[in-house]
Amino acid sequence: MDILTVKNLTKRFGKFTAVNNISFSLKEGEILGLLGPNGAGKTTTIQMLLGVLTPTQGEVKYFGKNLIDNKEEILEKVNFSSTYTQLPWLLTVEENLKFVSYLYEIKNRGQRIKKIIEAFRLKGLFKEQMKDLSSGEVTRINLAKAFINYPKILLLDEPTASLDPETADYIRKFLIKERNKFNISIIWTSHNMAEVEDVCDRVVFINHGRIIADNTPENLAKTIEICHVELNVPDGLKRTIEICQNKEVVYKLEGRNIVVDLKEKEIPGFLRELMDRGVSYDQISIDKPTLEDYFLQVAPKKSKNED
Amino acid sequence: MVLRFFYLFRHSYDRIGDAFYWPTIDLMIWGLTSTFFKTFAPNAPQIILIVLSGHMFWLIVWRAQYEITVNLLEELWNRNMINIFVSPIKFSEWIISFIIVGLTKAAMSFPFAMLVVYLAYKINIIFFSWYFIPIILLMFMTGWWVGFFVSGLILRFGTKVQTLAWTFAWLIGPFAAIYYPVSTLPVWAQKIALFIPASYVFEGAREIIYKGYTDPTKFYLSFIINLVYLILSIAFLHLSFKKVLEKGLVKVY
Repeated sequence: MDILTVKNLTKRFGKFTAVNNISFSLKEGEILGLLGPNGAGKTTTIQMLLGVLTPTQGEVKYFGKNLIDNKEEILEKVNFSSTYTQLPWLLTVEENLKFVSYLYEIKNRGQRIKKIIEAFRLKGLFKEQMKDLSSGEVTRINLAKAFINYPKILLLDEPTASLDPETADYIRKFLIKERNKFNISIIWTSHNMAEVEDVCDRVVFINHGRIIADNTPENLAKTIEICHVELNVPDGLKRTIEICQNKEVVYKLEGRNIVVDLKEKEIPGFLRELMDRGVSYDQISIDKPTLEDYFLQVAPKKSKNED
Repeated sequence: MVLRFFYLFRHSYDRIGDAFYWPTIDLMIWGLTSTFFKTFAPNAPQIILIVLSGHMFWLIVWRAQYEITVNLLEELWNRNMINIFVSPIKFSEWIISFIIVGLTKAAMSFPFAMLVVYLAYKINIIFFSWYFIPIILLMFMTGWWVGFFVSGLILRFGTKVQTLAWTFAWLIGPFAAIYYPVSTLPVWAQKIALFIPASYVFEGAREIIYKGYTDPTKFYLSFIINLVYLILSIAFLHLSFKKVLEKGLVKVY
């Protein structure tokens, strides 16, 4: 069941079109990755989904209800976290969470805050003022804040940015566990492609304000045919280069290592030819295309507008 | 929202200073100045009461508008607007929270100022008797519309016009005739004073000091003008908020 539907959403700032007629939906319990290079329109889209930016055109519906007409009712069940917003920096963690819990009229707020504090490993920071915390700690508090109202839908703008790898992994697992337990739907933006592949059920790829792909991470990666074949060649490196040049394939040399870009179906033939020419290699690794390869192929190398 | 501002009050020496330190300093300076002037004008025995009561009532306008504008600025400085407006809070609740905070802070700093004036100059503002209530209410109303109007400007133009939070109330101060009769103003300024609701209140307050009573019409007029301005200022703030949503709440700074 679609819990969020976005229809023909457009945002223009003067002559510049930041988001151009996009439509997508989010299912109950689904984690949807919103990807795209800087300036693609991801943050603009999220702001419109939260009702803090008025669309030029189009419609956002949560639970079948229009966001503009039912804002308060909808926002009771939605929450948001971003590395780019802050909570009042003179207030302590406890005061901030209490204040937010009042905004959402949470019952048993003491118990709820205690539970969230434990879940996000914030116990030692409870009495600290926000201004004294590291960026990673602030990110965790922003996430804790997003969970305070038992959200049905979470919009997470780079939720693991500035977290150390161990904490980022913990947070990813926690979010997936919460999704599985409470059937929460999540929209997740990130520049960490491995994370998106790992966490998201589906990916909407935006570029220049338009959706250019809407598929599972695996299917998007499959659209890239090129695999990276890395060989360590102690004997026959020159012959290997000759083969690559004859086949007109892209290769890169790093000492005795050679990385060759080949289509998956070309790999057996290439390895056979190496054998026929008496090339011996003692290590081989084949990297299949990933979401990152897809991203690198479809995203422009330089973006004029920051997102 | 009210709780958020009281948490801030607890942690911010600036805000504590604003509530107690500055009113005390102002009252001391104005009190001493008027005591000094009294020595030149022995026929004007009420001069200290006129100046200090005027200043104390103006303090309410200042406090009410300050709590609205500076608390809005506080959200912009903290980049906290988005956290507030992604929650189910209504625009009207947000407005009311500013009013409640202003009322509560005034309830703290005004009695404190009354005590300072009483201890330093033996002047009791309760002297105004029941007139005290409408005067206070009308001062609050002026503070609110000034605060909402300035907040609308801040939302539209961002923190680059933040100085209005401290200065705008003083722009209408001369026309409000806080310490002197409206007749003292040049004719063109007297015409402007007609549209400043606080001027009627201060005229009335001085009349009470001199005669012990005043024509209530002054207060009715002040109330009507204040009410019109209050409605217009809230509408302006609401419009500014809508404008801000067109460019994005994140971009207001």
